Amino acid sequence: MNDRAPSHVALPREKIEHTAQWRLALLFAFAALAGAVLLTGVSMWFLGAVALAGLTPAALTFNFHMPAAFIRLFALTRTAAKYGERVVGHRAALTDQVLRRATLFAAMAAAPSVRKAGWQLGNPDRLADFLDDVEDVDYARLRVGLPSTTLGVAIVLLLAATLWSAPLAMVMILLLFAANTGGAYYLTGRGDADLAGMRESRQEASRLLGAAMQAVVPLQAERRWNSMLGAPFDGYASAEARALMLRRRQAVVDMLAGCLAPCAMLSVLICAWLTGLRGAALLPPALLAFAWLAIGESVQGVSRILIASVREKAARVALAKWSIGPDGTAHKHTPEQIRSLTLERLVRRTPDGRLLGRPFGATFTAGRPRILHGASGCGKTSLLKQIAGWLDAADGCVLADGVALDTDKRRAMSSFCPHDAAVLADTVRENLFAPNASDEDLWTALSAVELDGRIREAGGLDGWITQAVLSLGEAQRLNLARAWLSEKPIVLLDEPVEHLDADQGKRILAALLFRLRQRIVVLSSHETGLMLAECRPLLVTQ
Amino acid sequence: MLNAALNRHESRPIRSKASEKPIPNAVSQPTAPGSATLRLARNLAGPSLRAALALQMARIGSRIAFTGLSAIFVGEMIFGRANWMLFGAALGSLILGSVTGLATDRVLASTELKVANGLLGAARRALVAASPADVQAMPAGTLIAGLQRYPQAIASLAVGHRLASIMLGLGPSAAAAAIAAVSWQAALALVVLTPVMIVFFVLVGGAIRSGAEAQEKAFGRLAAQFADRIRALPTILGNHGLARERRKLETRLDTYASGTMSVLRIAFLNAGIIDFFASLSIAVLAVFLGLGHLKLMSVPGFAGLQLWQSLFILMIAPEYFAPFRRYAEQYHAKAGGVAAATALDTLVLAARPRSIDFETAILTPDLIHAASLLPRTGLVAITGPSGSGKSTLLRHVAGIGTARSDGSELDRPEIAWCSTEIHVPEGTLGDAIGWGTGQSCRTRLLLAAGNVGLLDDVLLPGGLDALITAGGENLSGGQRVRIGLARALASGRAILADEPTAKLDPVNAAMVRRALAGASRGRLVVVATHDRDLAMLAGKTIEAGPASQQVEENAA
Repeated sequence: MNDRAPSHVALPREKIEHTAQWRLALLFAFAALAGAVLLTGVSMWFLGAVALAGLTPAALTFNFHMPAAFIRLFALTRTAAKYGERVVGHRAALTDQVLRRATLFAAMAAAPSVRKAGWQLGNPDRLADFLDDVEDVDYARLRVGLPSTTLGVAIVLLLAATLWSAPLAMVMILLLFAANTGGAYYLTGRGDADLAGMRESRQEASRLLGAAMQAVVPLQAERRWNSMLGAPFDGYASAEARALMLRRRQAVVDMLAGCLAPCAMLSVLICAWLTGLRGAALLPPALLAFAWLAIGESVQGVSRILIASVREKAARVALAKWSIGPDGTAHKHTPEQIRSLTLERLVRRTPDGRLLGRPFGATFTAGRPRILHGASGCGKTSLLKQIAGWLDAADGCVLADGVALDTDKRRAMSSFCPHDAAVLADTVRENLFAPNASDEDLWTALSAVELDGRIREAGGLDGWITQAVLSLGEAQRLNLARAWLSEKPIVLLDEPVEHLDADQGKRILAALLFRLRQRIVVLSSHETGLMLAECRPLLVTQ
Repeated sequence: MLNAALNRHESRPIRSKASEKPIPNAVSQPTAPGSATLRLARNLAGPSLRAALALQMARIGSRIAFTGLSAIFVGEMIFGRANWMLFGAALGSLILGSVTGLATDRVLASTELKVANGLLGAARRALVAASPADVQAMPAGTLIAGLQRYPQAIASLAVGHRLASIMLGLGPSAAAAAIAAVSWQAALALVVLTPVMIVFFVLVGGAIRSGAEAQEKAFGRLAAQFADRIRALPTILGNHGLARERRKLETRLDTYASGTMSVLRIAFLNAGIIDFFASLSIAVLAVFLGLGHLKLMSVPGFAGLQLWQSLFILMIAPEYFAPFRRYAEQYHAKAGGVAAATALDTLVLAARPRSIDFETAILTPDLIHAASLLPRTGLVAITGPSGSGKSTLLRHVAGIGTARSDGSELDRPEIAWCSTEIHVPEGTLGDAIGWGTGQSCRTRLLLAAGNVGLLDDVLLPGGLDALITAGGENLSGGQRVRIGLARALASGRAILADEPTAKLDPVNAAMVRRALAGASRGRLVVVATHDRDLAMLAGKTIEAGPASQQVEENAA
């Protein structure tokens, strides 16, 4: 029952980071970059030195063992550290990911949007966008934090070395940096708008396409099908065009970044020459110049880092929307059984906020299930959600045995079976949401909803099921089995016989209502034909 | 699959301008094994990819030129000769390289756009050509999510990844050729090293595959647990399963992450091999060339070189390995693209519904004959028990569906279809009724709306200005049917209505019956219905059903 997340859950930021792992990853990243830079620089210096020494008798006494050993060391460091960086970095990111996702899951469960009408993340396309956002945040540290820190430190060190050995070169290098910074601002500034525009076009297109596909029969009959597909596909095309814009901007930044290292190298060399250094005295600046050249490869990645950081920012904003305004507090003690439930002056509203009909009042008694009838759209589901505590009761109130219940208590006391209940990708046992029930109870529930044969086929209670393997009717019966196993004093069933054929629906419902005879049971049905001996109808009017 | 859709389309009567254009090359392609979508993408990429390849070669050439020229410049400079011509040439090749680089990226990006748009176009044509039953059988949500992402993923496989794999042969050859100009022995050493590297690749590749298979076998089910739980969140809350699901989710994500890590540890070896060979080649070359300079070793090709020569070799050697690295970086593009292509193959026309068999079974020649003899005006009812094919016959009358009539094509292009499925645009009730009719005269709209009781509907207050949300989500089935009917009345076209009274309360049902009967005085109205009262009003009744097909002529 302790299923309420703490009320202050916000999006988990860097609190959960695994500092030790990230530090190790950072260390490896530094080692790898240093190895690469030194490998190139020292090799260059070594060749220059031996070439100069080779001209003189000093060649015979030149100690080449030491630099050769260093060069091999750098080569191995670079390889091993790069591998270490990848492995440790990914491990740290995955460890963070596990905690972040679990926390996000709880935060979203606590947010009110999940209980409102129409769970948007039930749509595959919205879910896919959401998962993109989650992934952008999950890997931000690996894609942005780690490489930008490493690169930043390397650049600062190289700048310091340049300032010390060839200060004149700084003019050119700073100009290059200014150009690159400008490029970066340009990319991040436009990138935001590009990514947002892309997503907007795609979502709009998807909405239109979904609407058109639903209306395929009338549209084809009226010869409008082809033209109706125009708008959504134009939307997809304009999203792709937006992606192209972003790629082009990225290409400009790539070009600027690609010039940075080679130009820095040439500037250092020229400045050293112009300040009059010759021969062996040129070797240290040459080493520095080649070090600049060696970080070129990392600098090339800068546009990817920028895009990843833009995506991360947008993703954080998008994700925050799913978990704002966690409502309610920790759970309170609730009675295990109640005899009556009274609704007073409940005001129903449509999902868009309009008032629906007159305020509603009724009394439900344990053992006397009621069935809500009424045309679709008259607010049956809203009423059930209000009883379940998923929507607030506004000015009205809900009383259990004469005691007013707030939304939290109502939520804790009721089992709500939405009409579009999902099947979890999990075992049958877990799908029944009854961890304390015995196997025997579970089988009884399954046979009551006439699903036992199907489940035996699918591998018994520990067989793995998904939404795709069950038909709509089977999923509905599984949903009813959950209600059968519920221990809550209030059981609310939204359209319980949808997708079932009439006789089977009546049979299962009769059995279910007998099982729940001590409980308060309210069900809804838009079919006025659904009449049950055990169940008094209650007309929900407009 | 897209091809299959297009070929099937040839035999279909509904043709639109867009769908008549064949996809270049796509239809005539021999059916090789593999993904049809991927073949289509490759064909779309064709010529632009060659331009990108040429540019990429120019870019690699300029890069090698810059690296080589600056190596020569530095080598000479240390010996006291600053050759400014060389410097200028190096700078020139750097600029040339940057510009060709920019051009390559732009061409690549626009080629990918072209491919993605081509794939979208093919998907659209497949959708246009699909029968209503096909479309209804498609998994709409998955298809829509796929159309948002797959074209781009496939395009980057067919363009970016393909370019990288072509460069795998050309890039190293260019670098080796440049080195050979200075020392063919050094170039040979690099070339000889390559097979060794490839052996390692093959070994690691096998280990990655078996590791990934083991991971899939052990934890495949846990792959999308987070997405699944987010999707099912309301159900979990309704059943008070949050605490348990959260704990389970954490454990499972953790298990899956460690499984993934063990695969990644091997997968990263791939990049590690390239790093190893690239680093080692520099280290070994530097030491060898150094010993040559000190005259401590006299391996031909490594001794007796000028400084600029050995620097040249040393600096170009990494270019030899760079294409391998770039290819390895495209690993994700490959995996994602192949998965997307397979998915798009099956998605657009995955569904082979019962349509054809079912329709040929249910639409007997008698029925088709009966349906072809429709009057110009009057009310015709198609009746029968549910599942007897009323709707199928009505679709046939509309000229949609897969089963064809015996050539006597109904010449009735101007149809208004009325059912709960009709398209309702966002806006006002007036917009919804006027949609597609070309009718904006307020009086006519008012009349039509009033005829079906939409003006005094308590649930839709505001008359013609009543607000309708996106997708008509605030409408009930009955309201949708009545909007469809009002639209049909306003359009003046022949009306085909599928169960127009099924979702209505008695008062509204009577109003709709009256409106249909009234409309049938001036035009043809065909209804598929199990509403006896409506069928009673019909001048002609077609009884659909597997056993008895009778046409009753009532005295109208």
